[in-house]
Amino acid sequence: MHFLTNMAAPVNNRSDCWRVPEVYKHHEQQRVCISRPKYREGRKAKAVKVYTINLESRYLMVQGVPAIGVMTELIQLCALYGSVEEYRPLDEYPAEEFTEVYLVKFQKLTSARAAKRNMDEKSFYGGVLHVCYVPEYETVEDTRLKLQDRRSYIARAARSRAKQREKTEATQESLVLSEAPTSSDKISTSRGITSRNEDTGEALSLSHYSEFPPLPLPPQEHCSFRQKSHRRLVPTEDKMGTLHNAFYNVEQQQVDSLSSNPTTSNREQGTESRLGPNPGSGVRFIPRITNLESRKRKVEESGETAANVSGENEPLIGPKLPEAAKLDMEDESLNTTVGLIRSTMKQVGSVPDLKTAKKKAKPRRRI
Amino acid sequence: MSSTEAPERFEYLQSLVTEFQDTDSEEAKEQVLANLANFAYDPKNMEYLRELQVPDLFLDMLTEENQNFVEFGMGGLCNLSMDPECREVILQSGGISLVTNCLSNRREETVLSAVTTLMNLATPATRPQISEPGILQCMLRFSLAESPRLRNLAAVFLQDCCSEEQVRQAQQQTEGRQTAVGIPLPKGESQKVKEAHISQN
Repeated sequence: MHFLTNMAAPVNNRSDCWRVPEVYKHHEQQRVCISRPKYREGRKAKAVKVYTINLESRYLMVQGVPAIGVMTELIQLCALYGSVEEYRPLDEYPAEEFTEVYLVKFQKLTSARAAKRNMDEKSFYGGVLHVCYVPEYETVEDTRLKLQDRRSYIARAARSRAKQREKTEATQESLVLSEAPTSSDKISTSRGITSRNEDTGEALSLSHYSEFPPLPLPPQEHCSFRQKSHRRLVPTEDKMGTLHNAFYNVEQQQVDSLSSNPTTSNREQGTESRLGPNPGSGVRFIPRITNLESRKRKVEESGETAANVSGENEPLIGPKLPEAAKLDMEDESLNTTVGLIRSTMKQVGSVPDLKTAKKKAKPRRRI
Repeated sequence: MSSTEAPERFEYLQSLVTEFQDTDSEEAKEQVLANLANFAYDPKNMEYLRELQVPDLFLDMLTEENQNFVEFGMGGLCNLSMDPECREVILQSGGISLVTNCLSNRREETVLSAVTTLMNLATPATRPQISEPGILQCMLRFSLAESPRLRNLAAVFLQDCCSEEQVRQAQQQTEGRQTAVGIPLPKGESQKVKEAHISQN
C-alpha cells in the first residue's frame, strides 16, 4: 500500500512515541454545558472550553474506526481536507471493542482543522468517529513552526485590517467632501458597500484561517434593516466547534423594546454608556471597568435591582444569518474536493450500518 | 472586514462583556469568559476586544481564586497576545509579571498558555525581563516534564527567547536540585539536564 507518502514510516523517529500513550485529559469529551442563556446558546450543545494554539495540531487522532479493514478509506477521507504526510494505527491506545484508533499527520494545520471539524462525530462504516488534536505527538520543531505560522498569520491579518481601515477612511472622506451628507445613514451605507466589496476578496482568503464563521453581513440599506422580520439570535458553530452566537433578524418591535428596555437603560453604569435606539449606527466605545471600579459600583448599587442580562430570553438585534457556512479551503483544487466530500459523505452515509457488538447508550457529545 | 458588519459584531462582544460584569452567577461568568477567550482566537475580533478592554479583563482573571477563571483568562491572553497591538496593551498593563505568576499554576492548560504568552510578549525591549534567571530555571524544569506539550513549549522558549549563555548560567544554578515542585522529573535528572541541553544547543 503506497497511499500517499511514507506510509510505512513511523510518525516520529523519537523512541518515546512508541510508548503506550497516555489518555490525555484534553482528548476526552467533556460534559456538555446546559445552562446557557438563549442569546449565546449554540446550535449544538458544547462543553465550556477555551481553545488556544496549544490545543491544535497537525496531528489528529481518529477513534472509533470500525475494525473491518477500512484504513485506506479513512485516510482517503482525511485526504479530502488536505495532504496527509503520515499515518499509522495507534494499537497501544485504549479503544472500544471492535474499533481502531489512528494517528494522522497532516501537512498543514488548516487541513487538520478542517478534517477535525468535518469528521468528528460523523458516521463512518457503521461506527462514529471521534477526532481530536494530539499536539503531544509534535516534535519541538513542529511546535515552533506551529507558533511561528500562527504569529505570521495574525500579523498579516492585522496588516490587512489596517489597510482596509485606511481605504475605508479615504473613501469616507471623499464622500463627505464630494456631497453634502443628507443623513448619517447614507454615508454609513456607502461606506459599508464599498468596504464590503473590497473585503470580499480578503474575507475569503482569511476566512479559511478563522476559527469562527464571519458574523452575518448586515443588510445593504440602512432602511431595509428596519423592514426585516423574524430575526432572532441563533447559535452558530465556529470552525473549532466552539460555541458562540451569530445574529438572526429579530422583530423590529423587539429591537425597539430591547434598546429601550428598562433593565438596560436604567442601570447606572458609571463610565459606561448604553446602546442607543438606533442599531447599526456607528461603533461606540464602551470602556470596560476594572475589578476595583466594578466592586465600588456594586457597593453603590446594592440597593438597586439590576436585572440580570443572562436571565433574559430576549434575542439580540442582528441581520439574517446566511444559510450554510460554506467551507472555503485554501485553493481551488481543495474547493473542488469539498464538493467531492459532500457527495462522498452522502455515499458513505447511505451504507447500511453494520451491527457492532456493543454500542454505548450514552450519546456522544462534542467537545 | 466590512465596517457595517462591525457594529453588530462589536455590540455582540460588548453584550458579552456586559453580562460578565453584571452577572452574579459564577457559571455564567465562566461561560462568557470562555466565549470571549475563544473569540480572541479570531483576528477579526481582536480590535473590538481591545476597544472593550478585554485584555485587561483577562489580566484581572489571573489573580482570581476560581481556577476556571484563571485558565480561561490565561487562554484568552494566549490568543490575544499573538496580535502586536494587543501585545502592547498587555505589556503596558504589567502583563509579564502577572503571566509569569501563572507558570506555577497547578493546571497544565494554564501553564501552557502562560509559556506561550510569554513567548508572544518577547520583544527586543522586553527580552531582558522575559529571560530572567528565575523564568529560565522554570523553563529548564519544564523541559524535563512528563507532559510532551510542556516539554516542547519550554524547549522552544529556551531556544528562541534567550541566549545559549543565559541557558548555561541558569542550568548551573539548577544543578543540584533534583526535583521541581509539582513537576515530576524522569530518573537521573542532572545527567539528563546536561544531555538535553547539549542536544538542544
